[in-house]
Amino acid sequence: MMLVNLYPLKEFKLPVVAECINPDIFQGKKPKEIEGLEVWEGNKQKRLGELFKVEVAKEESVSEAAVITIHGDVSHVKRIGVGMKGGEIVVKGDAGMHLGEEMSGGKITVYGNVLGWAGSMMKGGTIEIHGNAGDYLGAPYRGSTEGMKGGKIIVHGNVGNEVGAHMKKGLIKIYGNAGQFVGFRMHGGTIYVQKDCGGRGGACMTDGTIVVGGFLESVLPTFTIEGLRKRVKIEEGEVVEAPFYLFLGDLTENGRGRLFVAKEPNPHLGYYEKFL
Amino acid sequence: MELLIKNGLVYDPINGVNEEKMDIAVKDGKIVEKVNERRAKKIDASGMIVMPGGIDIHSHIAGGKVNSGRLLRPEDHFKDFERKTAVTRSGVGYSIPSTFTTGYRYARMGWTTVMDPAMPPLEAKHTHEELSDTPIIDKASYPLLGDWWFVLEYLRDGKIEECARHVAWMIKATKGYAIKLVNPGGLEAWGFGRNVKNIDDPVPYFGITPREIIRGLCRVNKLLNLPHTIHVHTNNLGKPGNYVTALETMKCVEDLAEDGKPVIHITHCQFSAFKGDDWRTFESGAEEIANYVNAHSHVTMDMGQVIFTDTTTMTADGPFQYILYTLSGNKWVNHDVETETSAGIVPFHYRRRSYVHATQWSIGLELALLIKDPWKILMTTDHPNGGPFIAYPRIVAWLMSRKAREATLKKINSKARSRSLLPTIDRELSFYEIAIVTRAGQAKALGLKNKGHLGIGADADIAIYKFNSETMDPSKKYKAVRRAFKRAAYTIKSGQVVVKDGEVLKHVDGATMWLDVKTSEEAKITEEMKRRFKDYWTVEFENYPVSEDYLAISQPTTVKADV
Amino acid sequence: MPVVKAVTCPVCGSLCDDIELTVENGRIVKVKNGCAMCEAKFLGYCGEHRVLKPMIRKNGGLVKTTLKEAVRRAAEILAEANYPVLYGWSSTSCEAISVGIELAEEVGGVIDNTSVVCHGPSILSIQNVGIPSCTLGQIRHRADLIVYWGSNPWSAHPRHIERYTAFAEGRFEKSAWRSYVNKVKALVGRKKLQSAIKRLFVKKPAPVPPPISEYKPYPFITKEGRKLIVIDVRRTKSAEIADYFVQVEPNKDYELLQAFRMLIRDQELEVDRVAGVPVEYLEEVADVMVSCDFGALFFGLGLTMSSGKLRNIDAALSLVRDLNMRTKFIIMPMRGHFNVTGANIVFTWQTGYPYAVDFSLGYPRYNPGETSVVDVLLRKESDAAIIVASDPVSSFPRKAAEHLVKNPLIVIDPHMNVTAQMADVLIPSAFVGIEASGTAYRMDHVPIPLKKVVNPPKGIHPDEEILRRILKEVRRIKKKEEAA
Repeated sequence: MMLVNLYPLKEFKLPVVAECINPDIFQGKKPKEIEGLEVWEGNKQKRLGELFKVEVAKEESVSEAAVITIHGDVSHVKRIGVGMKGGEIVVKGDAGMHLGEEMSGGKITVYGNVLGWAGSMMKGGTIEIHGNAGDYLGAPYRGSTEGMKGGKIIVHGNVGNEVGAHMKKGLIKIYGNAGQFVGFRMHGGTIYVQKDCGGRGGACMTDGTIVVGGFLESVLPTFTIEGLRKRVKIEEGEVVEAPFYLFLGDLTENGRGRLFVAKEPNPHLGYYEKFL
Repeated sequence: MELLIKNGLVYDPINGVNEEKMDIAVKDGKIVEKVNERRAKKIDASGMIVMPGGIDIHSHIAGGKVNSGRLLRPEDHFKDFERKTAVTRSGVGYSIPSTFTTGYRYARMGWTTVMDPAMPPLEAKHTHEELSDTPIIDKASYPLLGDWWFVLEYLRDGKIEECARHVAWMIKATKGYAIKLVNPGGLEAWGFGRNVKNIDDPVPYFGITPREIIRGLCRVNKLLNLPHTIHVHTNNLGKPGNYVTALETMKCVEDLAEDGKPVIHITHCQFSAFKGDDWRTFESGAEEIANYVNAHSHVTMDMGQVIFTDTTTMTADGPFQYILYTLSGNKWVNHDVETETSAGIVPFHYRRRSYVHATQWSIGLELALLIKDPWKILMTTDHPNGGPFIAYPRIVAWLMSRKAREATLKKINSKARSRSLLPTIDRELSFYEIAIVTRAGQAKALGLKNKGHLGIGADADIAIYKFNSETMDPSKKYKAVRRAFKRAAYTIKSGQVVVKDGEVLKHVDGATMWLDVKTSEEAKITEEMKRRFKDYWTVEFENYPVSEDYLAISQPTTVKADV
Repeated sequence: MPVVKAVTCPVCGSLCDDIELTVENGRIVKVKNGCAMCEAKFLGYCGEHRVLKPMIRKNGGLVKTTLKEAVRRAAEILAEANYPVLYGWSSTSCEAISVGIELAEEVGGVIDNTSVVCHGPSILSIQNVGIPSCTLGQIRHRADLIVYWGSNPWSAHPRHIERYTAFAEGRFEKSAWRSYVNKVKALVGRKKLQSAIKRLFVKKPAPVPPPISEYKPYPFITKEGRKLIVIDVRRTKSAEIADYFVQVEPNKDYELLQAFRMLIRDQELEVDRVAGVPVEYLEEVADVMVSCDFGALFFGLGLTMSSGKLRNIDAALSLVRDLNMRTKFIIMPMRGHFNVTGANIVFTWQTGYPYAVDFSLGYPRYNPGETSVVDVLLRKESDAAIIVASDPVSSFPRKAAEHLVKNPLIVIDPHMNVTAQMADVLIPSAFVGIEASGTAYRMDHVPIPLKKVVNPPKGIHPDEEILRRILKEVRRIKKKEEAA
């Protein structure tokens, strides 16, 4: 296994674009080569070694995937782990935008917060965020309808708006609160929000599952109530045992998406029970 | 500046030069008899092909519709970008490149003249602003006139000469080059969400049929002595069974032809050569079209070849684009222009595995191969409707090599493959014929006297490709053909070397060509226009015409009309 | 006195081009055909806040300098910057914008226009859904139904209704002006009657507006010809002339739009009210939408900036797109600044993207939220700025404005606005459309030339010229650095 430690040499003020921080790229490279990888700081091209102290801890075999650990705040560093296929990245601090965009394998763990577009257009692998995540978690690029197609994102804190927009497959679990438009235009996969959720959950969804465990301000008028459920399964080995309202929609898109909303925290939805 | 291209294998069909080893001399942007050998910059083209610069008779590269397409599709651009260099501007692709990138990408393939085929007159300034920002290549644009209220009203009232004079005014006011008709009558009907069904279906509220519009403007075109014919996007485009409409459209102007000269150009004919009653019974109507064209001399056409890729469809044909939206469910832009025309945009992915798409691919090539005279069928993709223009090298390879066609046939939808006529066609175009369908024929159809050939006095727009046609067989080495056309060894524009080995060396402005049509009674027309302007448009008369300041390099051609 | 005709008004996105100006001794003395905003601009542009000399900040204060020196200092700032922002662009000509983009590319900066704080979110949704639209004349000739949603044209685009929509005279649709006059008379009569009755028989304190839950549809008079629907959170002046007024609960536009999408497909709603409006009334309005021959929906910042932002527009665009299954319907944003549309258009043809374009990697990148100027400033990433024809310090969030003025700041503007007061380099410019010519794009993407009517004060140049000089100077500095 190849263990690489990266230490920021300064507090970044300018945006840094560092697509090269990727286990696939580090794999099999000598420390000097890693230091020589191209990054951008503002509008100047730099070498990775100019911004980070690079320390290769172990280098026993080249066959196993690399593990990169970043020690410090890299919230201004964008595009870490973009397109990675394997290996692991651990960030001990905050991470910048587009973390793990289009990744198809491997694991990213952040012990801090991340900014927008984490796991954007993800195809596989796992991202685990112990702090909060920004807007557009797992959502696609502007204009694109190619959302998340696989993999798993776990956030222990809160997330911003439009989590899992255009999602087709995969799983997003949020153990905190979520903003508006959870699962906007989603076509498949599962999104679980353990706590409260901003409005418009499941807007324009055509398929897939959204589970809201906390308070949901209102269900869109374009959803229809289907019934009450005693429990909801999130994934293999994770079941939430509590009564849930099940809504189907979004009818404006002829959708058959499932929106589960916990009954207990949402007495204002009792209105719908008359249709059951 | 003097330039001497030595020892190339020259293809110059207009002057009957077929693979002759000869030198081409250039001085002050023109081809000359000879130059001072000592002083001139020399290019050694031995073992390479030398042709006139490529010409594109129909490519949507500028204007409101193209730009709305760019705006609509950030996802089309973000992985296809070009960095700024010491000499070039940055930009993005893919199917709707930004203006600078458009110019560079054409030049890299050895293309030097491109016609934008759909300019809404009201937004002509926009088209010209973009054309002026499209470097290297020479350009021109065709105003959309087939649904203009003036045209509909004058033709309905049988005032053909009045109509001609107003069209002349409009071509001059918009700095246009040819008369463009798109789904004539259908776009006016689209103003209320309707369409016309065939060329004899009357246009709502106007009491005129598409047939009358096509014939009328064809006669106007002749009265005005315009260098190009009317440029027609047929009614019912993109609908199964529309090859009948295409045939009727060609037939309806048969009697207007004289001396065997073309009077109509059917553009992107692939999209108008569909047989069948619906999408399930859909099949190729290329043979019927080809048979007609082979027996008649009043028609030219271009292919509108489909490429298997993700692209952006955009035409002035609003109702057609709406159908495409309902078929694909993709995002849809519509933009109707008052008293004149409409436009629509829908992103579209042509897939090899789709029966319809694969058949469309086959139809384009069938047309090009079944029509015997290469001067009648020109190479285009109707960029970006059939696919982006950067696919031209692939089309050249398909046209030149049966083997290349078979390689693609193997990968397409099996039903489409079994019904395709391509396996029965042995024809392979020679480089001489390629020079016709990509240059000489295009120049001839457009009436461009100084382009598309390498005779003395011609514009020194030259492409040199690294392919030795003496020693290599393009039919077998089709991949080498593709590589050669993708990155020209040299592109020379107005006598300057602008591209070497596929790299842009210089950012120069290209000219914008337009027609200054001289009619009698010009002043009377202007008064008439002024009077009706407030009723018809929402801008003032004096703010409507495009002044020459909008053209980076203005290149008018004076045309003397018969009215 | 010379009268200049067909002048384009450089105020709002309606870009009326029929203004007639009377010029006397190099000054505009009379404005014909314009609205109040237009008159104020043409008669009052040369006010007391006009800057007449380039200035540079020295020892904390702005001091007068030469243009050459100001340009040199501006170029130095930009050439040295690692992540400069170039902002404004919506109140200048396309020609100036074009030079601005070239400058942004040269200095590797982030260039953004004011749509980032107005219809930027609308554009993001257009990029997801598309937009069925047309030019304004098409509406004038054909529309028999006009909807204004979250926009109050009566005050923000005063001549919009008269020139292009309900009160305009078209080929297939006549002006609704006469029926409006009748209607107002009837209403005034009814109001008089009601207040008379009240005064006579009821003695009550002044009525307070009913709470949303007690919503009553606005009384209307049916009339022939064009119909006007106004949807807004408050009863605006435009609502007064409407045939139907839907008062939407604040921040519930999204729900209302989605409900309309269901109603126009004849689907049933399970709720009684949406956004505070009874469903029966919505059904009636939806019927009007479906049964028109040509409908046009105009939306303003009231929709774009209320909760849900870009997705409100997503729903509005989807609604209109769906309506095309039943009839002809188009939608258009009511653009504010006179050339914000032009800024989007020039940005797009040169870079592929309409605003928020980042050149720091040497090619255009676009991702509003990441590359948009407000977000860049909020993350404190920029290290210099040039502002052209805009006043971001007074319109941006406080934190963003703070970061903007903390770093070197160049301002090109005719006025001494708030941003200009904070500038390190201030270069006064000519008023485009009055003292300088150029091109602007109307809200429906129609290009219209701007006229030079009078000369600018001595030594004052148009934005385009100033930017060209800065660009030239930046290139000279860079060349020198490369040589060294």
